[in-house]
Amino acid sequence: MVSNRTEKAGGFGNILRTLLTNRFSSITIAVLLALIITWLVVLVMDAPPLRVFSIMVNGSVGSLDAATQTLQAWVPLVLATCGLMFTFTAGLWNIGMEGQIEMGAICAYGVIHYMTGTPTPGYVAITLASLAGMAGGAIWAYMVGLLKNYGGVNEIFGGLGFNFIADAFLLYLVYGPWKPEGVAQGSTKMIDAQYWLPQLPGSYLSLWSLGLAIVGILVVTFVLKGTYFGLKLKAVGKNPKASFMMGIPTSRYMLLSFVLCGLFGGLAGSFQVTGFLHVLRNSISGGYGYLALMVGMLANYQPLIGVPISLIFTALNKGATGLVIDLQLDTNFSGVIQGLLVLCVLLMDGVRRRLTKTFRGVQHG
Amino acid sequence: MQMLGHCIFTQWKEVELTKFVLTDTVYSDQIPVQYLWRRTFMRSKRLWLVLSIVLIAVMVLAACATPAATPTATSTGPFIYGMLLVGPYNDNGWSTATYEGGLYVQSKIANTQFIYAENVNTASNPSTTAAQFAEQLLQRGAKAIIFNSDDMKDGVLEFATAHPDIPVIWLSGDYAWKEGQRYQPQLTDESDIMGRMEYGKMMAGCAAALTTKTGKIGFLGPLINDETRRLADSAYLGAKYCWENIAKQTTPLTFSVTWIGMWFNIPGVTLDPSQVADDFYTNGFDVVISGIDSTEAVVEANKFRGQGKDVYAVQYDYKDACNVAPDACLGVPYFNWGVALKPMIQSIIDGKYTRQFIWQGPDWTNINNPDTSMVGFQKSAGLSADASTKLDGFISELAGGLNLFTGPINYQDGTTFLAAGAVATDQQIWYMPQLLEGMLGDSVAK
Amino acid sequence: MDVELVNIYKTFGRVHANDGISLKVKSGTIQGILGENGAGKSTLMKILSGFIQADSGDILLDGSKVVIQSPADSVKLGIGMLHQDPQDFPPMKVIDNLIIGSPVGLFPNRKKIIKQFEELQKQFNFAISPDTYVDTLTVGERQQLEILRLLWLGAEVLILDEPTTGISASQKALLFETIRKLAAQGKAILFVSHKLDEIETLCSQVAVFRQGKNVGSMVPPYSTEHLVEMMFGKTIARSEKTCDTQDQINFEIDKLKIDDRRLVIKDVSFQIRRGEVIGLAGMEGSGQAMILRALAGIIRPTGGHIYMMDGKPDGRVDLAGKHYFQFRNLGISFLPAARLEEGLVQGLSLAEHFALAEKQEGFLIDREEVEKLSQQRISDFNIRGTPESRIEELSGGNQQRAELALMRNPLRLLLLEHPTRGLDIESSMYIWTKLKQRCAEGASILFISSDLDEVVHYSDRILVFFGGRVSPAFDASLVTIDQLGQLIGGKGWS
Repeated sequence: MVSNRTEKAGGFGNILRTLLTNRFSSITIAVLLALIITWLVVLVMDAPPLRVFSIMVNGSVGSLDAATQTLQAWVPLVLATCGLMFTFTAGLWNIGMEGQIEMGAICAYGVIHYMTGTPTPGYVAITLASLAGMAGGAIWAYMVGLLKNYGGVNEIFGGLGFNFIADAFLLYLVYGPWKPEGVAQGSTKMIDAQYWLPQLPGSYLSLWSLGLAIVGILVVTFVLKGTYFGLKLKAVGKNPKASFMMGIPTSRYMLLSFVLCGLFGGLAGSFQVTGFLHVLRNSISGGYGYLALMVGMLANYQPLIGVPISLIFTALNKGATGLVIDLQLDTNFSGVIQGLLVLCVLLMDGVRRRLTKTFRGVQHG
Repeated sequence: MQMLGHCIFTQWKEVELTKFVLTDTVYSDQIPVQYLWRRTFMRSKRLWLVLSIVLIAVMVLAACATPAATPTATSTGPFIYGMLLVGPYNDNGWSTATYEGGLYVQSKIANTQFIYAENVNTASNPSTTAAQFAEQLLQRGAKAIIFNSDDMKDGVLEFATAHPDIPVIWLSGDYAWKEGQRYQPQLTDESDIMGRMEYGKMMAGCAAALTTKTGKIGFLGPLINDETRRLADSAYLGAKYCWENIAKQTTPLTFSVTWIGMWFNIPGVTLDPSQVADDFYTNGFDVVISGIDSTEAVVEANKFRGQGKDVYAVQYDYKDACNVAPDACLGVPYFNWGVALKPMIQSIIDGKYTRQFIWQGPDWTNINNPDTSMVGFQKSAGLSADASTKLDGFISELAGGLNLFTGPINYQDGTTFLAAGAVATDQQIWYMPQLLEGMLGDSVAK
Repeated sequence: MDVELVNIYKTFGRVHANDGISLKVKSGTIQGILGENGAGKSTLMKILSGFIQADSGDILLDGSKVVIQSPADSVKLGIGMLHQDPQDFPPMKVIDNLIIGSPVGLFPNRKKIIKQFEELQKQFNFAISPDTYVDTLTVGERQQLEILRLLWLGAEVLILDEPTTGISASQKALLFETIRKLAAQGKAILFVSHKLDEIETLCSQVAVFRQGKNVGSMVPPYSTEHLVEMMFGKTIARSEKTCDTQDQINFEIDKLKIDDRRLVIKDVSFQIRRGEVIGLAGMEGSGQAMILRALAGIIRPTGGHIYMMDGKPDGRVDLAGKHYFQFRNLGISFLPAARLEEGLVQGLSLAEHFALAEKQEGFLIDREEVEKLSQQRISDFNIRGTPESRIEELSGGNQQRAELALMRNPLRLLLLEHPTRGLDIESSMYIWTKLKQRCAEGASILFISSDLDEVVHYSDRILVFFGGRVSPAFDASLVTIDQLGQLIGGKGWS
């Protein structure tokens, strides 16, 4: 019966099928689908859709100021995404990224906290804070890796556990030892301006963090695509057993991927302190760890594709703040669009896989 | 077998796709060298292309759309002032009270326009700081910015430093207080407004003491800081005074404080305020005074009343906060932010603005006058007629000059706060270091 | 039920997997389908059983056209397919396996089903307890279970895809007996194999496939020569033993003891000479795989020694207890039978595999170098694929050749599990040619095979395993296949 219908559909069916099975067009369809659903959601919320899009574009890239803010917010997200590329490649779900960013922020703030008042020059303190942040993130990730390798704890559960611990530790520090004198709220004292990452005048954007993020992207791309290390990591991710048989020390590589991932997460965390908020406060990680997982998934684990996607995600976040002011929409609106994007792309990918599945069965005629 | 007449298999030839997704099949030896790397590269190039197209499409779409109502700063336009709300505008608590204050000004001063941003906190908006939100309000033509929370202290400092010419009003702040610990002399256009909620909390404590049958009052506290200790202590002083002097009770009053850790519930981070209220009610505390910005205490009280228990709650912040369950609510001490905001906005419009630190009490002639009383107490249906009368008596005493911050009062650790006959200074009250002797609960975070 | 397939076409990209195949199988016949790997046998069977759909062509059951869109459709129409790999649910009980995927409703009557099951298996002399767990069954028993399940579901047409892979000789005999009984009951049997002797003993007619076409058919008496010619388009003969065993000792295994939870092997002692091929024969799970893996350094022996001679008189190194990587570095290579699970990495290309296997200099991958090397290996090992072909896109034989191509130079000891399992004759011969080259270079080879013919033919010496016991190594020229078969079956042990 179904085949009858296919027959009648004739040319159109073929075109549709071709569109759905082509990677290029299937992603376009996914994005369009997400836009259409967003449109409907906006209509349901009784807001003018065109106005919504225009506010979002204006708020994210509409002015130099908005664009620099978007770039600034993009840095931690893209760093986290870059880090996750290592663990994704090794076949691991480092959901502990959130905690690794937090530990990075804690360590970075700690360095500056204890250096305030000493004659250490600002740039030295910032460098040390960044390094400490990276170390903090790496150690936190390493623990998840150790638990996985030697404790048999799945990295997803381990990661979630360490996220909670990092969270609790952060709250303890903010409300306890590092709370500012006098009226204490959910954040520490602001760090002295000399410990701020140098920013472009009149903006939050620091060329240093932006530059390091770009270097990070290049390094990750290069390491994963061009080196034996990257290739081995890929092999481990795809088949640890066979990789071991081929002489790759799999557990060492998995641990290493965690550590590298943590380095990037920690750096992102340290920039949250030295380059953005200038305090340590609860939810300093800003959810970038979870967001980066989504970006990584959407990017199909390709760092270079992660770059524009993370940029779009940040732009959505930034653009949505204007919606709150102008249309009194909920700020979580950007999250809705991001979620829709991820779902639609995964959906279309699933459709594409299903339609091309028969090709994959080709192995033995 | 009879069912399906014939069988058709759609035949479709693979175009393009074969080259990229499929097996390059086992027979194609002539495929150029280094195809793999190029394949990867091409793939990403294609995706880039798609994303750019989409981005451009969206931008064009947006550009063609009705232009955003970018308010132009001409002299004929309304005077725009913006407010940053730490929570949602409809939280029935702190944010709603300040939001209504903003609306009040708009209704009272002609040709003004009120704009606002809500949920300005790092949990809801991780990538945008309070200062950045303030900038956005500025871009929309705001001539004055109101920060509604102590949580925004860094944002106030940053924004006020960056825009010395824009009046910044910080609700519950103290940067402009010369005698204060956090005085920031360089912020010349920054003002602070706070209500003397001590009185409101004393009334709340009194209403609780006049209602409790078990002699046990719970205080649902937010996080621990000078402000919250000040308010908890005030509630205690009011409760103790009314318990001993008006209700004429001789048994000691139990007054217990539990801090949840934030102004509102954050699952997994704070204690669950509903749970805390429940614990109070099940452990013999029949009145809970809410110190937090949301309505859990009264909601839980209502639930317990449904089960036949005679329990009540006192709300906080917002005049209509008892409306969720009037019978379970004794009343609410609240802010009329408009009372202080209106003259300040007016002075900005008139060009007569000067920096001020305002810590304003109730209008004792009528504490519920929306035009004159910065702090009020709205009674609710749960308050008995008798208690209501007695509470009015207490309010008259306060109006008549009764100062409960008069010694002898000791801190919780037994050290002297005020010697007999001594009266607390504003600094002593504002920067309250401890709970008071006789109160249960933590003075500092553990 | 009569089955007729008319003009079936199926393309995968540019490959014509089925290029206009027609085939008619009458009820009560055992139709053999013969062809090398990639000839289109499996594709046609998958089309008949609904796993894939043909591009065009008709399927007729008892003369009327049917549409088969899914495996469920085919089951409904009475077509059952026995796959190469068991399609069961290992951690479940036999009876639950039967119930699952059957249209008996939400609350099946277990007692009744068990009774039906017992009656069914009595017909064929099977002895599977309905309450045992599937993962405790042997491959042969799982196959029996699958046949019973298909029959229970009402299969009138049975497709058996390479059913003798991995089962013991006695189980094979039972299987053949069962197939004959089923045919006698009037069922149509499609028996897919590339093993000539099986086809010849079992089938009442045979169709030969080559490159997606049905190139001819035959009824008994069969001419092996003619069948081979149809399969390959030419006649081929097995190569002779070419390798000269040298007297020099390469390894000495001394009182090796291996403990597995299920099996203990102890006091295994033998010597491995340079250039020697030793075949390990035995029923699956008799201990030969454990020895092979112990010699590869993958499992750690609990006692004894693995001495490697280092050329000097009396000079030897004990490798027992050392890490697998050390074994590898000493030129000991292991080729697992589960190619895609343990040997190769799905998702990586041939070039990437070669890059990984090669000795690496520096940190960066020299793509040109890797490309050149890959092209070289691909032509050396006659792999049908490009450097960019992903490993799972290759056919089984090409994967096996790729595994061989990945081995390092020079090698001292080569350990192989079922080196030619599932491969057609041509591929098998090619593999052995390559292996012989290795032993000519001085490497010793130990291999496991369930193909006794292969063991006798290629080995210099043979070790027979039975229930953890190991025979002394004896000269392969002294045994016949029959004698070997008896040893494997447990007869003739002192």
